[in-house]
Amino acid sequence: MNFPGIKEDCETFLGLFQATDSVRYEEFLTIWKQMKFNTIFHGGMRNLESNRFSRDLFSVVSVFFLPPYTFQIRVGAMYLLYGLYNTQLCQPKQKIRIALKDWADIEQFHQELVTAQHLDAVYIYRQLRRMRAFYFTGMPITLNFKSQKSIIPEDGNEAFLDVKDKISDLITTETLEEIMNIQEHYQKTKCHFSADKSQPDRSLSLIREDFTDNLQSLVEEFQLWKQEKKAPRTKTDDEQEGTSQESEASERARHLAQIKSKTYNAVTQAVKSRRHRQVQMVSAPTEVETYLPLSKYQKEKLKKAERKAELDAIKKAVTPLPKKKPVNMAAIHEEDSSSSSEGEDCIRTVFTPAVAAIWWGITFLDQGCNLRGCRGCDRTRAQEV
Amino acid sequence: MAGRTDENIPTYEVANVNTKKIHVGSFGHLWRQNLSSCELSLAEVSGVDLEDEELATELDCTADIATEIKSLCSVDALKSNEDGEEADPEIIPEDSCLVTLSIRNKIIERRKEMAVDRAFRQEVFLHEMESCGLGARPEDLSDMVDEGELVLTLEVFHPVVYQKSNGNKPNVAIQVLGTQKLTELRDAIKCVSDLQIGGEFSSNPDLAPENICKDLFKSAFFYFEGVFYNDMRYPECRDLSSTIIGWSESHDRGYGKFQSAKMEDFTFNDLNIKIGFPYLYCHQGDCEHIVTIVDIRLIHHEDCLDRRLYPLYVRKHWFCTRKCNVCNIYVAKWVTNQDSLAPDDPCFFCDVCFKMLHYDTEGNKLGDFLAYVYVDHGTFN
Ligand SMILES: [Zn+2]
Ligand SMILES: [Zn+2]
Repeated sequence: MNFPGIKEDCETFLGLFQATDSVRYEEFLTIWKQMKFNTIFHGGMRNLESNRFSRDLFSVVSVFFLPPYTFQIRVGAMYLLYGLYNTQLCQPKQKIRIALKDWADIEQFHQELVTAQHLDAVYIYRQLRRMRAFYFTGMPITLNFKSQKSIIPEDGNEAFLDVKDKISDLITTETLEEIMNIQEHYQKTKCHFSADKSQPDRSLSLIREDFTDNLQSLVEEFQLWKQEKKAPRTKTDDEQEGTSQESEASERARHLAQIKSKTYNAVTQAVKSRRHRQVQMVSAPTEVETYLPLSKYQKEKLKKAERKAELDAIKKAVTPLPKKKPVNMAAIHEEDSSSSSEGEDCIRTVFTPAVAAIWWGITFLDQGCNLRGCRGCDRTRAQEV
Repeated sequence: MAGRTDENIPTYEVANVNTKKIHVGSFGHLWRQNLSSCELSLAEVSGVDLEDEELATELDCTADIATEIKSLCSVDALKSNEDGEEADPEIIPEDSCLVTLSIRNKIIERRKEMAVDRAFRQEVFLHEMESCGLGARPEDLSDMVDEGELVLTLEVFHPVVYQKSNGNKPNVAIQVLGTQKLTELRDAIKCVSDLQIGGEFSSNPDLAPENICKDLFKSAFFYFEGVFYNDMRYPECRDLSSTIIGWSESHDRGYGKFQSAKMEDFTFNDLNIKIGFPYLYCHQGDCEHIVTIVDIRLIHHEDCLDRRLYPLYVRKHWFCTRKCNVCNIYVAKWVTNQDSLAPDDPCFFCDVCFKMLHYDTEGNKLGDFLAYVYVDHGTFN
């Protein structure tokens, strides 16, 4: 990449957006204005430079618009693309490249936005398409068969990744239910073979009978621990957010309780684990203002948090600068050396910038969107009440 | 998308380098299947903002919400700062927290220190090439590029590295349409070896023939994925690939079976290729150029839409022209070897200096030397 700093700036932006715990365009716009992000094009770049800069910028942001990044980061990246596309100074505007292999993911993402009724996000997506802001391409980048050395390894931002929770993957409510059913069946069969039909023979006691209960409480405990681990940031005094976290935990508990209650039922009901599918089952929407659910109070709280975050961001953005100097110098060094070293490619100093968002100490362990204002989450919350 | 596992959806064979093999035409078809006519349209973008009512229907919400979303998401809101003012795009704000800008600031400072901005001329040239043809629309609608057509960007390398290489080998980038024939690209590739004039003309320089190699030796081929596409348009064309195919088959060299086809029978849509993979263009018997298809995409309404302007050069390599060794003003036209009158071997001359030095007023040859016509690489600049 010819333009150092792009990745850091975009990651800082998305880190701030992630901290809002929201997918609202309003939040995006607030950060956009606070960071004066449109000025990223400023400073009198000449035409050619300006075109290349826009293209580089889009290729960096587009990556976050696709899996494996979290739903929220993808929305943030989409807003960012919208903002950057419309504020770039190139004439004609540079386009955003979309590869055919990624199209199915983007279409599905759009469906998820529609289903969860994130109307602002749906609007932005459709505007981008109406503006014909995309190039429909074969690959996300042009492939120039450059020497391997010049290819900079892609380092994703872990903090934005849709983290796969291995335990939840392994023990879902379905599997837990299944295990309980088997245990129940096993127990009955043992009784059947025993002299005393009411309880199994001692010689048949090969596993601990409370094993399913233990497993269940372990899983429950783990889920609670996970919630608590997330808690510190939201615990503060924001009641609303507190409940959102609680609802997550209590939802799990509710699920487990449900399983308990119907463990002995023959019929196993399919458990909808993905919220957006759950929403599909619900008929008419009840609240109209889902897309803008923030109360004044909440907004103020958020603004406070943001301002603090922004201050941190500025600190982070400013302090590491001296260290980044070599990035700047590398290009010159390369030019110089190429004239002296006969054809030998000089070593390119590639800086992998410290992942900005890790500083925020935000880790999302849960796969659900769990965003304020998500119709799906609101629904589950409403159901509990 | 039904074609999720379709082999014509390009995926990497080698990450960030080249894709697996795809059929170009089928790839275009897959994209067109997935897009609405509105997106394929080549008409100017108009009416991006829907009316409130229209938007409300589309989003399935009330008109009030539609209005609110529209004003919230307006483009103007992105351009102004918190006080609602637009900043001067020439100036970098002092209190900026963006890393990109602090780096750009330093670059600007450094540029100011330089008396002459040498990169400037080169940049203007490259930008002119890059934006060449953009937005061009033909007067005659029959020359208009069709909706949903594919544009391929190819990089064609010069065969020899004439100048000191700093990792970038001289090459050009050319855009072609999927519906164009391979021969159209062949005719568009400019190479000095096509302009050579064979022979030694020291005894009578005025008799140097006009015939350039391009007119004398018309054979050429492209090589893509196991197939040699030979230019066979003229009776004097020869199948240059037959030697290679014969060589490969006679010793069972493990290259598999090569095929040969006629270049003029194939369009780019007909090809099977890997994006990013190096292929070959060969002409004048042994002048070999690496050809890479670096990009394939659907045509966009802001592209050049005049079919007649394709193949379209989007980047050229700027060659330094070789000047006459005597006057150092004019471009060299002659090159001499074993020249008793020259300080160097080879030595380059413009037409005037060459004749003035090597011949008397009657046109008699002076001294010993061999003279050849020289074609400068800067001819195509
Ligand atoms: Zn050639
Ligand atoms: Zn001269």
